[in-house]
Amino acid sequence: MSGLELQLRLLWRRNAGLWSLFTLLAALLVVYAWLHPGLLSIAGVARFTQTWFPVALVALAQTLIMLAGGIDLSIGAMVSLGCVLAATLVGETATAAGLGIAAVVAIGATIGATTGAIVALLRLPAIIVTLAGSFLIAGAALLVMPRPGGSMPDWLSDALAGDRPTALAMLILLLIAWRVLQATPLGHAINAAGDNPQGAFRSGVDVPLARIATYALSGALASFAGVYVAAQTGAGDPVIGMPLTLDSITAAVLGGVGFLGGQGTLRGAIAGSLLLVILINVMFFLGFPPVAQYVAKGLIIVAAMAVRLLRAG
Amino acid sequence: MATALRTHSVGRVLLHRVTLTYLIVALLWVVAGVLKPGFASAGHLRYLLELAAVMGIVAAGQTLVIIAAGIDLSVASVITFSAMMLPLLSPAGDPSGLAGVAATLLLTTAVGTLNGLGIVLLRVHPLILTLATATILQGALILIAGGSAISVNNPAVVFLGNGKLLGWPMTIVTWLVLGSLVTALLHATVLGAWLFAIGTNDRASRLAGVAVGPALVAAYAISGFCAGLGGLLLLGMNRQGYVGIGEPYLLGSIAAVVLGGTSILGGRGSYLGTVAGAVLLVTITALITVVNASAGWRSILFGALILGLLLLSGRDRESR
Repeated sequence: MSGLELQLRLLWRRNAGLWSLFTLLAALLVVYAWLHPGLLSIAGVARFTQTWFPVALVALAQTLIMLAGGIDLSIGAMVSLGCVLAATLVGETATAAGLGIAAVVAIGATIGATTGAIVALLRLPAIIVTLAGSFLIAGAALLVMPRPGGSMPDWLSDALAGDRPTALAMLILLLIAWRVLQATPLGHAINAAGDNPQGAFRSGVDVPLARIATYALSGALASFAGVYVAAQTGAGDPVIGMPLTLDSITAAVLGGVGFLGGQGTLRGAIAGSLLLVILINVMFFLGFPPVAQYVAKGLIIVAAMAVRLLRAG
Repeated sequence: MATALRTHSVGRVLLHRVTLTYLIVALLWVVAGVLKPGFASAGHLRYLLELAAVMGIVAAGQTLVIIAAGIDLSVASVITFSAMMLPLLSPAGDPSGLAGVAATLLLTTAVGTLNGLGIVLLRVHPLILTLATATILQGALILIAGGSAISVNNPAVVFLGNGKLLGWPMTIVTWLVLGSLVTALLHATVLGAWLFAIGTNDRASRLAGVAVGPALVAAYAISGFCAGLGGLLLLGMNRQGYVGIGEPYLLGSIAAVVLGGTSILGGRGSYLGTVAGAVLLVTITALITVVNASAGWRSILFGALILGLLLLSGRDRESR
């Protein structure tokens, strides 16, 4: 067998679970472009990536945590908090805006790290800690801003969520950052902590630290999703992130993160979130009532699982 | 000998956790009663118990599922589903209203059975599958009910929520009956032993001849039944139903189970603990309402208390 053939086979095997997802995505994209020809322009792509970007960010946040064997039910609340903080802290000038965004992301990372420390060091179950955390964070968002308000500088909204494909560029940057992370010891530690925590621990991996790092990164990503949503809508909203918790889990699961950890990929999370967003857009154009989305999202999850079972069976 | 010792000490720890939760409840009642006269009056405490009944009944099914190392995130949607479907399922020619109650409970048990079948046959993680069920039910509800509130005139449901039997509120009577049944099921039947075994070690119990699939389906079916019953009680107490009526019971039921000393990883726990957890939660919620804080502070207080109590009583030594 030639080296190239071997490599191709390896590539096929490594992505075996993802090919069907990519095929489905391509088919849906064609349907979407046919229903909505405006998609095929720079502005069209820019607009589409904007609706996708927050979902992609939270999918990534959830994937990271699930990779290390955890779960985070407070992601939606964190997006809300990021959103109201951004509408409060981000100033008019470029420096003030940059400092404001950095502050929001730092707050998100700190809250995430705290959650991670409670889960990893105190050994409390992640599901209930993050569920309680979602109440704490949602409450904090309501304290910052009891009702929608605040503002974002117009130029920032235009730069992030205008006619330029900034969101797409940021997604590509994230992809590169992920690659870099995967090559670092921390990236290996995260994978190992999810795949086989005991084995990782015995091999000298600081499992608690890796877990705390995933929660911190996830908090930073989710709060940045909040900043982006604030830029999109031009204001803060203390409950805007709520549906994103479920979306993040759905996308991560669609993208192939097992609950066993250690097997998720960025392209999986990106593809999963893309599938979710296209599906909702296509359903909108086909004239389904908005609530039909709920039923569709639920059915997609079950279908994705059934397909995986057929493949394995 | 060693095994006997271990079982004994595990039993003591469990008893300790459960007693601890009851002690916290008693302490809260005494402190609140001193600070706020009227809180500890017999009437108010009975009202708290009636509220705790709904939480306790929903958490009963959740206890079974969690002991078997699963989780049911669809309870909130099933509660709402049950409350909203009852008027549609009550036939006009039935003055007692029992047919509607039976049909609704049958439907929610069927939803629970589907949860169990999906988890067993499709081998989907329970968290994902029950979340998917919740989403589907939520969409179905809005399609069916159109988001409007309904009022109830089914006499059986009104009796369940407001009636009295020999001077006892029906809600508490129902809770007592269901609670005894669940306790008996857990500790005196084969199914109960199987659920503990599955929660401790799924593969070992499979090899030991436990019918893992049927046992899990039964646990989720019972959880569907309990959530449905909780929905009917809630509907009878409020005399009206609306989309979202079940929302507080999702976190509530899981928190009640965990605060009551049942391991979220399965294999250890008791319903008696869950009862304490349910009363504790309802007491906390009532206290937060008394404090008269803004929505943000209420949410923060609730989250902080859950986290604090979790530190006290819900710690999993062998948590992953």
